Amino acid sequence: MAVGAGIGIGLIGKGAVESIARQPEASGDIRGAMILTAAFIEGVALFGAIICIILALG
Amino acid sequence: MIKFFTFLSLFIVVFLLGQPTVFAADADADNESPIDIMGTVADHDYFTFFGTKLYLPRLFLWQDDNGSTQFSTYGSTKKALASGEFEQVEYVITPVNGSMLIDFSLTSHLLYFWFGLGALALFTMYAGSRYKKGIGTSTAPKGVLQNLFEVFYEFIRDEVAKPNIEGDKHKKYVPYLFTMFMSIAFMNIFGLLPWAATATADITVTAVLASFTFFVTQFSGTKDHWQHVFWFPGVPLGVKFLMIPVELIGLFTKPFALAIRLFANMMSGKIMIIAILGLIFIFNEMYGSIAAYGVSIFSVVVTSILYILKLLVAILQAYIFSLLSAVFIGMAVEEHEHDQEHDDHIHADLSV
Repeated sequence: MAVGAGIGIGLIGKGAVESIARQPEASGDIRGAMILTAAFIEGVALFGAIICIILALG
Repeated sequence: MIKFFTFLSLFIVVFLLGQPTVFAADADADNESPIDIMGTVADHDYFTFFGTKLYLPRLFLWQDDNGSTQFSTYGSTKKALASGEFEQVEYVITPVNGSMLIDFSLTSHLLYFWFGLGALALFTMYAGSRYKKGIGTSTAPKGVLQNLFEVFYEFIRDEVAKPNIEGDKHKKYVPYLFTMFMSIAFMNIFGLLPWAATATADITVTAVLASFTFFVTQFSGTKDHWQHVFWFPGVPLGVKFLMIPVELIGLFTKPFALAIRLFANMMSGKIMIIAILGLIFIFNEMYGSIAAYGVSIFSVVVTSILYILKLLVAILQAYIFSLLSAVFIGMAVEEHEHDQEHDDHIHADLSV
């Protein structure tokens, strides 16, 4: 599940950096969208992580 | 040169912030492992105040054996137990003869929730009193705090509310979104202090905040919104009956996802800090004190870096909570013209 999050955020980073390379003027918008999407994916990964931690240590 | 010293002093500050957490981990040692992770993040009935524990008052609404409901208050847990009417059964205080209805006790998470809201209230009242005196309405605002208030308020109004809620209706919701954003940011940042408890690292607190968003969204829903939930127009009749449970579930998963996202991010940050610093104690027990000194260099450096990441995550999660609230309110308030071709209207489903 951590691998899934890592792959997802890596793909977002790749898309963001490539699109900044194509159009450097839009780098502000792209940065905002990238951080937002990364937080969403991290939320999904942390759902499972918290359940695992609570099961293991509760 | 100056930049180097600034960076070094910032690093030292973050390093020093890690110190009291070491004592916190040591104090709650039980015989299974040297550190007690879940015990430190869970809710307590005491409030750590610079090293000492202040026990908080307990307020109970309970029902006697005779059926009469009573409301008793006690200064601390010890006094409640000493009065003889309550006993402790496995971490839970229950009345000796009777049953507990609602436990209104003050706990540390509740206290930090109030601190977050109180800090926001003080900030807003200060800014309001300055505006009432006339500074900032006809002249430019003066002073750091007032300008800071304007920065945050305009950020919420222009970047969060206006793009997502259409028309002039965004003005009604800017105060609510501002409150959500600032109070969650304050609560998350207060939790970064080592002796403090993060109020949002509690699923009950985030569930309450998400239910506020839920109620605001539902009470501001237009007829279109309710029609889409219960009797989806423009699809065949069989699919309409199928859409009712699907839309109802979608109505509830969105605030549920909001609550869990905030809770998981905050709690995982706290657990990581305790675990990485607690590695020192575990190494101490398993391999002796030399190994503990060795691993402490690694642990403290990693903890300092993690603290900076957690600061970013704290503010980012507050922003995402308020942004998604704005999106949900915008989706509920939206009125689009009905025409015969309703089939090709795509609904974005944001239940992440």
